[in-house]
Amino acid sequence: MDWEKPEDKSKLSSLGLALSWFTRPQNANKLFIGLTLLCLILFFADFTYHKHGHFHIEEIPGFYGVYGFVMFTALILVAKILRMIIKRPENYYGDKSIDQEDYPANQLEQDTK
Amino acid sequence: MMSTFPTAFMFIFAALATGILPRGSARSIILLITPILAAWQIWNLPFGIFAQVELLGQSLDMMRVDKLSRIFGLIFCLAAFLGNLYAWHVRDLVQQIAALLYAGAAIGAVFAGDLITLFFYWEGTAIASVFLIWARRTEGAYHTGMRYLIIQITSGVILLAGAALLYRETGSITFERMTLGSLGTWLIFISFGIKCAFPLLHNWLQDSYPAATITGTVILSAFTTKLAVYALARGFAGTEILIYIGAIMTLFPIFFAEIENDLRRVLAYSLNNQLGFMVVGIGVGTEMAINGTASHAFAHILYKALLFMSVGAVMLRTGTSKASELGGLCRTMPRTAIFCLVGAASISAFPLFSGFVTKSLIMDETANQHYPIIWAILVFASAGVLSHSGIKIPYFTFFGHDSGLRPKEAPLHMQTAMGLTALLCIVIGVYPDPLYALLPYEVVYHPYTMSHVIGQLQLLCFALLAFVVLMRTGIHPPEIRAVNLDVDWIYRRLAPAIYGVIYTFVVKAFTYCEVSMNNLLQLTIKGLYKLHGPETGVSRMRGVGSMVIWVAILLGFSLASSYL
Repeated sequence: MDWEKPEDKSKLSSLGLALSWFTRPQNANKLFIGLTLLCLILFFADFTYHKHGHFHIEEIPGFYGVYGFVMFTALILVAKILRMIIKRPENYYGDKSIDQEDYPANQLEQDTK
Repeated sequence: MMSTFPTAFMFIFAALATGILPRGSARSIILLITPILAAWQIWNLPFGIFAQVELLGQSLDMMRVDKLSRIFGLIFCLAAFLGNLYAWHVRDLVQQIAALLYAGAAIGAVFAGDLITLFFYWEGTAIASVFLIWARRTEGAYHTGMRYLIIQITSGVILLAGAALLYRETGSITFERMTLGSLGTWLIFISFGIKCAFPLLHNWLQDSYPAATITGTVILSAFTTKLAVYALARGFAGTEILIYIGAIMTLFPIFFAEIENDLRRVLAYSLNNQLGFMVVGIGVGTEMAINGTASHAFAHILYKALLFMSVGAVMLRTGTSKASELGGLCRTMPRTAIFCLVGAASISAFPLFSGFVTKSLIMDETANQHYPIIWAILVFASAGVLSHSGIKIPYFTFFGHDSGLRPKEAPLHMQTAMGLTALLCIVIGVYPDPLYALLPYEVVYHPYTMSHVIGQLQLLCFALLAFVVLMRTGIHPPEIRAVNLDVDWIYRRLAPAIYGVIYTFVVKAFTYCEVSMNNLLQLTIKGLYKLHGPETGVSRMRGVGSMVIWVAILLGFSLASSYL
């Protein structure tokens, strides 16, 4: 990728450089492992204090984690099916919508670095 | 004097002044000063009813100040200030006046003590705001603005009809708590519901907000829907049906947001979902639930504006807000990226961010009042919020695959507006007590308990983990250029199609009748011609001689018959 070139990197501000660390492919695994560890810590944290919820189900250790993981996955899968049904080409509504038209260039300030 | 001057008039006078000022930054300064002055006035007003006007035997209450209207009035001023600061570079007179009048109308509506004043400002928000869409000045924006205006005006007309019926029923036009039952109250309820984007009435929101100008969307996002939330909280607190309506509102937009490509439309769906939480709070209707709704509206206006601002800044620099065209912008727009992440964390309700200390008021009260299924839906919807606003917006814009775009960082005034808004999101999250003190009822609530923090972090981190797993396995739906059907299909495609069928039918029937009539006429003319034409039948010319013969025969015949 272009940005890997040193001359390109030098154009970035230090903040931009720091954030671009997260986008590097070689760091993807580190981030994944880090997140998994965080999840494990949060799961085991449930055993360290007395949980008091409104419903009994909240007292199951890791309830929120499991619920979050399962429901998020379900959400994505249902959304995928939904897309099959309701997806249409961008010009579906013709000139009566803004989907196929460009934003007026005179209202933009498109400078590049 | 101060209390007899309605706050909304400040904005109207400022708009007039803006209209006569020469071009330049002077107008932008008025746009910034007016909300500050208005907030100062609201802050210093005592509670009570002021600025009463007698009109046609009715007393109109222009300024009803209590804790509920005050918090909405203040956040509207804050939103107007931040939105106008973000739009500092805009020199378009139409947008500048529209922004002032729109904010003024929304604030006027919040302080309206009677339904007629409410109606006046209700329609004011509709008319002023549509110019923020039309200011884009494209064919698509014109049509979208028309659809938006028709729906918004309809909402106002229904409100007026409801108010008239209610007046006949009760003899009062005071805007106070109502009970659903009569036609009048139902009409008012539906009118609020249209502006609040209830399920099936919601689609004007997702249709129009992405069509507005970059700065217009930021301003639009704050007022109309939260005005409706205020109106519902004032008029229909504790109406149970709102709990179910709200729960559906939190639920269905998250699926649509997930597969939407236009990030400003994703945010519009997300806005709809957040309104759902507030509507549930109004439906539950206890003091704590109304506190939750008011505080969530306050926090929501800020983080939603922040998210629209960050996507708008990207749009200003790249010309697009489509996720399929963006990605990897954190390299050259790192500050915007961080502001966007703060907004994302706030809307996802991460601890230490504003959403966490406000949404939990509503969710805890839903559980307290024993609505287990509603509570489960709200927890699910919270994970859904993370998916589109928490992950999708920042990830596909600033991280994700590299689009190759290297735009310049946002202009300084936009960074300032985003920075201030982000700061407020964090301050509210870390130290919620000042916000809690502004709420309509006394707050006895501690958001930072061990159970709550760990539970929320678990929910969000495991959902994030699910996202990463789905991305790595390629199951997560990719961003593609497309539009998705929603309820607006009914009036944008189905209704025109039905109209088309009816039109064709009528035209055909008319043509058929016309042709048949024509044929009949021709047949008649032909028949008559056959009978009376010069060559045939009755009118044929015969010689005088033949007539004489026939007369002679006839006379002979009659002579003969007389002798018989």
